[in-house]
Amino acid sequence: MGKVLVATDWLAACAGCHMSLLDLDERLVGLLEKIQITSSPITDLKHPPKEGVTVGILTGAVNNTSNEEVARQMRERCQVLIALGDCAVFGGIVTMRNFCSMREALHRAYVECETVVDGKVPASPELSRLLPTALAVNQVVKVDVHLPGCPPSADAIYHVLSELLAGRVPEVKGEYLKYD
Amino acid sequence: MVHITINGRELTVEPGMTVLQAAKQAGIDIPTLCHHPAISDIGACRMCLVEVAKQRALQPACTFPVTEGMEVQTESPKVVAARKFVLQLLFSERNHYCMYCQMSGDCELQALAYRYGLDHWIYDRPFEPMPVDGSRRYFLLDHNRCVLCRRCIRACGEIVANHTLGTRQRGSKTMISADLDAPFGQSTCVSCGTCLEVCPTGALIDRKSAYRGRVSRGDVQLSRNVCVGCAVGCGVVVVHRAGHIVRIESDWDAEPSRGLLCVTGRFEQLDEVRPRLTRPLVRRNGALVETDWDTAMEAAVAGFRKATTSGAMATGRAMNETYGALARAFTLAGTWGKALPVLGYGKPGTLADLEGADAIVVAGADPAETHRVVAYRIRRALDHGARLFLVDGGGEYLQPFATLSVPSAEAAKVVEVVADASSPVVIYGTGLDESALKALKALDGKAVFMGLPEAANARGAEAEGVKSWNGTAAVDALYVLAGDDPAEPQELPQAGFLVVQSAYRSALTDRADVVLPSPAWAERSGHVTNLEGRTCAFEAAFPAPEGVPAEWQPLATLAERLGKA
Repeated sequence: MGKVLVATDWLAACAGCHMSLLDLDERLVGLLEKIQITSSPITDLKHPPKEGVTVGILTGAVNNTSNEEVARQMRERCQVLIALGDCAVFGGIVTMRNFCSMREALHRAYVECETVVDGKVPASPELSRLLPTALAVNQVVKVDVHLPGCPPSADAIYHVLSELLAGRVPEVKGEYLKYD
Repeated sequence: MVHITINGRELTVEPGMTVLQAAKQAGIDIPTLCHHPAISDIGACRMCLVEVAKQRALQPACTFPVTEGMEVQTESPKVVAARKFVLQLLFSERNHYCMYCQMSGDCELQALAYRYGLDHWIYDRPFEPMPVDGSRRYFLLDHNRCVLCRRCIRACGEIVANHTLGTRQRGSKTMISADLDAPFGQSTCVSCGTCLEVCPTGALIDRKSAYRGRVSRGDVQLSRNVCVGCAVGCGVVVVHRAGHIVRIESDWDAEPSRGLLCVTGRFEQLDEVRPRLTRPLVRRNGALVETDWDTAMEAAVAGFRKATTSGAMATGRAMNETYGALARAFTLAGTWGKALPVLGYGKPGTLADLEGADAIVVAGADPAETHRVVAYRIRRALDHGARLFLVDGGGEYLQPFATLSVPSAEAAKVVEVVADASSPVVIYGTGLDESALKALKALDGKAVFMGLPEAANARGAEAEGVKSWNGTAAVDALYVLAGDDPAEPQELPQAGFLVVQSAYRSALTDRADVVLPSPAWAERSGHVTNLEGRTCAFEAAFPAPEGVPAEWQPLATLAERLGKA
């Protein structure tokens, strides 16, 4: 049997969830005997292959048009989609901007911010556009497995991947279910 | 008795019990959120829904009474589905992100979501920004995290009887509100922190202990202790970490307060900023210098040996054991604060007597300033129908609730009315004058009398033989036991030689000839006796800093060396 193909990408995320994935440490070596990571945000190949993968892992909230596109592409190209971390599952800290207007949020970040000198809100046409509100992944595409946590522990990630490899639907509860 | 079955288990329970009480008694766990054992139940949150045979809908266990033959299921698929649905609804409003909330880990809402495996949310959220009321000095009210369980409202009304909190608006716009929507800090709130204590989420949060450790993770330890802020002697739980108090919580099981605390007991004790003393000091060439215990004790003993007259003044916060040692070492000894007039008649009262009182007389005292928990208990009694009579007392807090308020000279008027009451309670303080004292004597044998002494452990000091020396006469040598008292004694007798035992450096220690370090409140093990005469034992929450002996130790050594042991 060939290796199970796994693709991963991040949306509006802090990279903490992918750090937690790397926290699998030596368990990664064992995992890599059974899975092949086709693409990730920290490798040269960013996009899941057109031929598709078995498991897609997304971290971060859907905050702009680019995030939306990445999420839709991942959904199209994977059989099982995992939303990894609070931002992907609930919208997380990214949804802080939902409590004020987009103008206020941008102004606060790019102009008013204490460390900014002569700031202005970026307006290049090359940039993706912000969505009206930051969303959880399951508000944009169907999600099969939710693994909350800020970030989820390496143990929880290992549990989910192991269960999937064993052909079971992972149940996230007990010590694996954390919101912080 | 009533026969019911819960999850197939046959139980015999008291009639009038709720399903929740019956289940709890049998050790069957039903999850709750708006329920709190110290307050009444309103069935607001629907977390405790259970399936009751022959009932059309699921019923809240906290308010549903048991009936003969009732069959209850507490974790059936239908119940579990309903609870998950309720949780989804709770998370669909306001801001329940755990990662930046200091209550994460100690939050009841979070614990319930974990219990029912809520790994994602199914409803869109409105992201309606709610205000954060930061107008209070010691704690915040963040409406964004509120689930409207109304525990705070009930605690404010039923436990403290202060009735500050309520709600405004309706439906999803409902908000907790102080008075008629005043900023919390400018309302009639008395800062007792009972609402903070009962809040299940991070909506009411303590400023000082935020992010300083979680109970659930074992970052902090909990120790039961007795507050010595005043003579009520409320039971407290000291939450501490690495030899520092993180915060103070209520001890719901402890008499006489049963969970009630005041701003002093819960918050003000942690305001201490004076530098801590851990090594003894002696005066050499006009300056205080650090020294070892032997040298310091030798200097103290020499000073008292030389003196013809000597005396001791002590804080009211010391332990019974310390007062015992003090009385052995000094014949002239007293605690600071005015002495309570002795009412040589009437039964000594307890706070519990207020519960069934139909008339309460407050004479020469302002409990809302000096013994706040007593004031709250009085208001609770008033809510239950008691009438309040004031004789030169009550202060601003109690005045509006008085049936009759008279100056001392007219105390007889009050006595006349109260004589018809069936269970009157007289609460008196140091402000009681001769005329009122005489008039109140008419209630001898009828009323219970409860004195409010100024010194927190006045009863303990008295019992251990510390005579109430008022310290007006000058002495050659004086021992001042300041302990960790935040207040400096107003006036001390003149003395040529001064020894001060204190936990902190202060103006007082600066003019001493010998300074002996003392443990702070939570670092002591011993006993205190409250205004009811109830003696409570407590253990140190954590040890005193290295080199600081037990509070009574220097006095015992002194007594021994002076040949008085």
